[in-house]
Amino acid sequence: METEEFVLVRDLLRSFAARFRVGSADDVKPSAGAAAQEALGELGLGELRRSTPPAATVQECALLAEEHGSLPLPTSLLGTVLLAPELLRLLGTPAAPGTTPTIALARDLRFPAAGSSPLVAWDSEGADEALCVLPDGTVTVSGLGPAAPGVDLLRAIRTAEPAGRVVGRLDPAGHRHWQAYTLIVVTSELVGAARSFVAQSVEYARERAQYGRPIGSFQAVQHLLADATVLVEACASATRYAAWCLDHESPQRALAAARVAKAEVNRSAVEAVYAGTQVFGGIAQTWEHVAHLYLRKVRVGATVLATTADLLTVLAEPEAAP
Amino acid sequence: MSGTPLDFGDPADLNRLRTEFRAWLAVHPLPERHVDEPVPVFLLRWHRLLHSGGWVGLDVPERYGGRGLTALHQVSVSDELGACRAPGVPRIGYLAHALLEFASEDQRLRMLPRMLAGDEVWCQGFSEPGAGSDLAGMSTFAERRGDHYVVRGQKLWTSYAQYSDLCLLLARTDREGTPHRSITAFALPLDRAGVTVRPLRAANGDDEFCELFLDDVRLEESERVGSEGDGWPLAMTTVSYERNALDTGHLSKYGLLVERLRSAVRERAGTLPDGLRSEVGQCYVDYEVLVAHARRRTAERLGGQVAGPESSIDKLLMTRAEQRLYETALKVFPEQLAEDGGEIFGEYLYSRAASVYGGTSQIQRNIIAKRVLHLPSSGRP
Ligand SMILES: Cc1cc2nc3c(=O)[nH]c(=O)nc-3n(C[C@H](O)[C@H](O)[C@H](O)COP(=O)(O)OP(=O)(O)OC[C@H]3O[C@@H](n4cnc5c(N)ncnc54)[C@H](O)[C@@H]3O)c2cc1C
Repeated sequence: METEEFVLVRDLLRSFAARFRVGSADDVKPSAGAAAQEALGELGLGELRRSTPPAATVQECALLAEEHGSLPLPTSLLGTVLLAPELLRLLGTPAAPGTTPTIALARDLRFPAAGSSPLVAWDSEGADEALCVLPDGTVTVSGLGPAAPGVDLLRAIRTAEPAGRVVGRLDPAGHRHWQAYTLIVVTSELVGAARSFVAQSVEYARERAQYGRPIGSFQAVQHLLADATVLVEACASATRYAAWCLDHESPQRALAAARVAKAEVNRSAVEAVYAGTQVFGGIAQTWEHVAHLYLRKVRVGATVLATTADLLTVLAEPEAAP
Repeated sequence: MSGTPLDFGDPADLNRLRTEFRAWLAVHPLPERHVDEPVPVFLLRWHRLLHSGGWVGLDVPERYGGRGLTALHQVSVSDELGACRAPGVPRIGYLAHALLEFASEDQRLRMLPRMLAGDEVWCQGFSEPGAGSDLAGMSTFAERRGDHYVVRGQKLWTSYAQYSDLCLLLARTDREGTPHRSITAFALPLDRAGVTVRPLRAANGDDEFCELFLDDVRLEESERVGSEGDGWPLAMTTVSYERNALDTGHLSKYGLLVERLRSAVRERAGTLPDGLRSEVGQCYVDYEVLVAHARRRTAERLGGQVAGPESSIDKLLMTRAEQRLYETALKVFPEQLAEDGGEIFGEYLYSRAASVYGGTSQIQRNIIAKRVLHLPSSGRP
């Protein structure tokens, strides 16, 4: 997209987010989620990665995911708008008319394992089937079961039938592209969440007064927020670089960069949200405050697709030649 | 910090430059270091050799002796040096930026070509015994006497002053004004009467830094850099450039050690404790994040942004990567502690200085809080 065009799309998503953001955990209701998802569908963002070549670059998708993470939204932008359409594009198959797929993950929310392990349809608001990429690149489609309660209150999750119908197969390069792309999109949303929450706590530190002065004037608070800022910027640099790599470099290199980004975000987005929560003091510990919505998102997000242990083990050695 | 997609890539002409540089390196091998030759002297020979090939100051305009290219070209040269295990580019980028921004045209034309060529070596005289973090507390005084100044005071930690010809010196020129308006910069020739340079031995055994005693030293008006009172913004510009991993050329040095650690993990698969394996993975993550971050900064720089307070973020990320890296290296190569005490141990000791030189980590946090996040002030400091 041209820069101006992208800025327009992002602003569209921004005003959508301002309108449908959740004010507190009490606002997270099925009806609210469905209405927001429908409005999201009307923005037509699902088309961004459907054509070949796609209308939006991976970098642009990553920034949209960042935007989606910055406010508490109960919509499944990642699963149904950014991830599943990309998978169908890689397979060269259109979605069956009238269906909205999302993606399936293992029960522990990591990349699906081999065999017919139990699956969940991840980010399933508005979805009616789930696409699963197995470790050998085979792609299956599963029907959905009932809603499964999730810790991330903003993320709709349903059970999925384990042994789905095979719909295609990704070649090794396509499979690497897919893994890199999913890591980048998921990571970007967490970057957006951490960045926005830290910004909110900075605002609070300017206004909240104790001992007759703003708490943001205390050096202990300043250093907490400075460190959180460093972590957020590290996350953003790593994630955006990985997205750039997927647009411009081999899938192999992009996957390495995406793993680095996920490892950074697993550690740092959580740390940054901890810092922000600390700055909010007692208020952040209440059900009504948005802090725990962010904490839930980044804490669960740190285990989604690949955990720190998964990643560091792989990254500790030089890569084998492709 | 831009919110629209960034170009992290190398423009096409960079590949040409890289190929050209590799070809040059192939016929200009690294000089041998003579027995007992101090590292700075050896590095100066290397600096001059690089300059003879046109590989210094790529992002400095041609009329000042550079090549008028971009920061990315300079970075690529640094990259290539790292890849062939040569010493990095001469660390003059931040001093050159200070002169580019604050010196008069006459001074730039006179000083920059000689600085780039390695004909005149510069050091940085900012810190004092009583003014480390709090540069504003500096007491070295330059008293104006008609058409010249007389300087009296003491500087400390002046790296490599014993091998330098000139010092970018900060001194007060006004006892009354606020520190931010009363400090002035000078280009002080170190052989001037009244200057005494005394080397101090560093913890790793190197003779990097020095004390500088200034005893009624006469400086001409033409040796003042910028106007009276420009010293503070000049210092801020200098340290901003000094805090970016790209400008200091440290990246390639880290990269080589990270790869050494990862190869060791591969070779000793099974015998390394699990925890150490992930620690090496974490070093790789820290390093790659730093590279991505530095690339992002370069893209922003090419987009017209000058180095500012956000370079404190870069400095903290660089410190994080460096300190973890050397800590881990001592665990992967424990012989460095047991018997050897070799090069890695020396670098390990120096990595502990990363959170002190160029402004301590606490000072970087203060800068981020005040100048990036605009948090309310608590009065001085
Ligand atoms: C290897 C090396 C090379 C150097 N090279 C040069 C050089 O070439 N030229 C030059 O001019 N200088 C150089 N320096 C000096 C360096 O810039 C100073 O050491 C540094 O700024 C810290 O000052 P200080 O040592 O006086 O420590 P201090 O300022 O006394 O600080 C001591 C401790 O107090 C903390 N502290 C101080 N003020 C605050 C505050 N406001 N808030 C929170 N914590 C605070 C510091 O973070 C630190 O932990 C070099 C230093 C080293 C280690």
